[in-house]
Amino acid sequence: MNHPALATSPVSLALVGCGAVSRLFYQPALRELQRHGMVNILAVVDPRAEARAPLAAAFGAAACAMLDEALALRPELIVIATPPALHRTQAEAAFSANCAVLCEKPLAANADDADAIVTAAARTGRLLAAGHYKRFMPAHRAIKTLIERETFGPLLEATLVEGGKFSWPAATDSFFKPEQTPGGVLLDIGVHTLDLLRWWLNDPVDFTYADDALDGLEANALLLATFASGAKVRLRLSRDWRTENVYVFRFARATVHSRVNASNQLEITLDGLPMTLAAELREPLPISPAPPSRALETNPQAFIAQLVDVCAALRENRSPFVPGAEGAHALRWIERCYAHRTTLPLH
Amino acid sequence: MKPTSPASIWAIIGASGFIGLRAVEGLHGRHGVAVRPVVRGTASLAVIARRRLDWRIADPRDLLALTEALRGCSVCLHAAIGDPLQIEQMATVAYNACAAAGVRRLVWLSSASVHGQNPEPGTDESTPLHERHLLAYNNAKVRAERRLEKLSAKGRVETVRVRPGVVFGPRSRWLTNAAADLRTGRAGWLNYGRGVCNGIHVDNLVHALHLAATVPAAAGHAFLIGDTEPVAWCDFLLPIATHLGFPATAFAAATPADHVAERETPFAALTRSHFYQSLGDHVPDRAKRLVKSLAAAWPAHAAKPGAWTLPRPPATAPSLTLEQTLLQSCTWKLPHAKADQLLGYAPPVHFAEGLAASLAWLDFAEDRR
Repeated sequence: MNHPALATSPVSLALVGCGAVSRLFYQPALRELQRHGMVNILAVVDPRAEARAPLAAAFGAAACAMLDEALALRPELIVIATPPALHRTQAEAAFSANCAVLCEKPLAANADDADAIVTAAARTGRLLAAGHYKRFMPAHRAIKTLIERETFGPLLEATLVEGGKFSWPAATDSFFKPEQTPGGVLLDIGVHTLDLLRWWLNDPVDFTYADDALDGLEANALLLATFASGAKVRLRLSRDWRTENVYVFRFARATVHSRVNASNQLEITLDGLPMTLAAELREPLPISPAPPSRALETNPQAFIAQLVDVCAALRENRSPFVPGAEGAHALRWIERCYAHRTTLPLH
Repeated sequence: MKPTSPASIWAIIGASGFIGLRAVEGLHGRHGVAVRPVVRGTASLAVIARRRLDWRIADPRDLLALTEALRGCSVCLHAAIGDPLQIEQMATVAYNACAAAGVRRLVWLSSASVHGQNPEPGTDESTPLHERHLLAYNNAKVRAERRLEKLSAKGRVETVRVRPGVVFGPRSRWLTNAAADLRTGRAGWLNYGRGVCNGIHVDNLVHALHLAATVPAAAGHAFLIGDTEPVAWCDFLLPIATHLGFPATAFAAATPADHVAERETPFAALTRSHFYQSLGDHVPDRAKRLVKSLAAAWPAHAAKPGAWTLPRPPATAPSLTLEQTLLQSCTWKLPHAKADQLLGYAPPVHFAEGLAASLAWLDFAEDRR
């Protein structure tokens, strides 16, 4: 994937929501783009003065309590990083103000809201990108290629185990209240994984889902899915206990391990070869003597790559690499999981 | 959330920990009790939030915050953990917060280690406590109990001190550490594991905590709590090894001299020092979290890098901690006769049943099929 530096003027934007994801991800990523003249950050928005002030200072941007104040500055792009329940209203307001939107995952609080956001984008002709940055990870792109081209034969099965003791520095407990956040670990980290599975294998033809929620939000989840290709997938998610944090793909002639968030690394065990190749993914070498090539994107660089892609899509008047509709599809699958949930044994 | 009468609300401090979480799940909605989990930070709610509960965020060392968190509660179960200085501090804060909030009874989760990990034969609740233990944790638990006794002698809050031994069950470090030691070739035992394991399944402890909170005659007392069956360490460790596919020989013979001081790191030791503690509120929480994460990431036995090393070195000698060494040297099954008589304690979970359930959880947590 190429992310050419933007040749034209920087994209003006506003960052809406100054919570943990903005502090830990968007601040360093946008600062890097700002440093290279690729974005012009006009405003940050958060009703809490103590949250917006440090980010505003870091970017040299206006600190706004309300979205309307930021929209009045006429940014080209709004980055929405607020609680999911706010996404629809904020995205619709942004589209009405002729802004493009990059919306953090999950795209909305529910699939209906997500569809409404997608519809509003289409109606107004504005760009909408879903914040599924894990599609930008080289390892995940490589897996998609291996599956599609059947380099090691068809994918037979995959086991994905992800999560660990929850440590996200959520500012409030709204993250754990069903009335404000309509899902637990499946919605939180699973939305990325389900998006990847759909990207790699399309929609499942059949699945079962179980979790350990009582009348609250699940901390452990188990999804078993079968895809049209015949591939069977087992996905185990936890924010309760440490896991191996690895995706294992069993192809007809090889097994591939992808460690969670090891963006540019894969471990490949070719059948018949009594060893495993642990590889850093790099730019391809020519078929001639050449110096070592550069490593592909790390996890933070994959996050930056998404922002670069959205900015480039705006300038090139094209769709982003992860259009908003993809975020809506992932949410729809999650809602089907919850609708058909059975209970995991409580130990 | 269903309305509950104020008299039935029980606060559980340290509700996200191994024992606290089990108490939340075991007590809420039973016996007419509505549990109010109290945790230090929002991240601690991840598992508690499986139920819709009326939780509170409060630092157990912050008197004002804790008092607010306890308002409306009739009982407070204190299961928060901390370093030795924090343990002592939390006892005082918990008592005073209970008093200020009008809590009737404070059940303090102490430990059988107030008598040491290897108590003298004949030890029971009447045995005088001392502060000359090798482990700072034991001494802190003793001092915490003494603070509570002193405070409750003058105050109106009833206190009950519960002293469990080796608490095992889902999420127990005794289970997960044993599994990790087996997998890393560090498993060892003293005298083939013949020492007495004063174990208790976590559900039996929750049963005891409920009794400690409700039995009127318990006020002012301390209770040793354990499983009924006499259990040796090999009875506990061997089934774990077998379950994970290891032979009994996976446990190397250790001697008391083999132990390492503590399963801790230089940074962890720093955080326990008087110097670090004296910095107190002057150090921002973010900096404390950074130090803590560094401590967690610090390898316990960092291998020195070198080119001329075996790629797969032979198994290293077992590295029992001092705590393990003392525990496995134990020859005395601590009695729980006082709890039986005064509380009506009758542990509902048999040892074998509890261990099997614990191993089932381990399979679930590790996604072993």
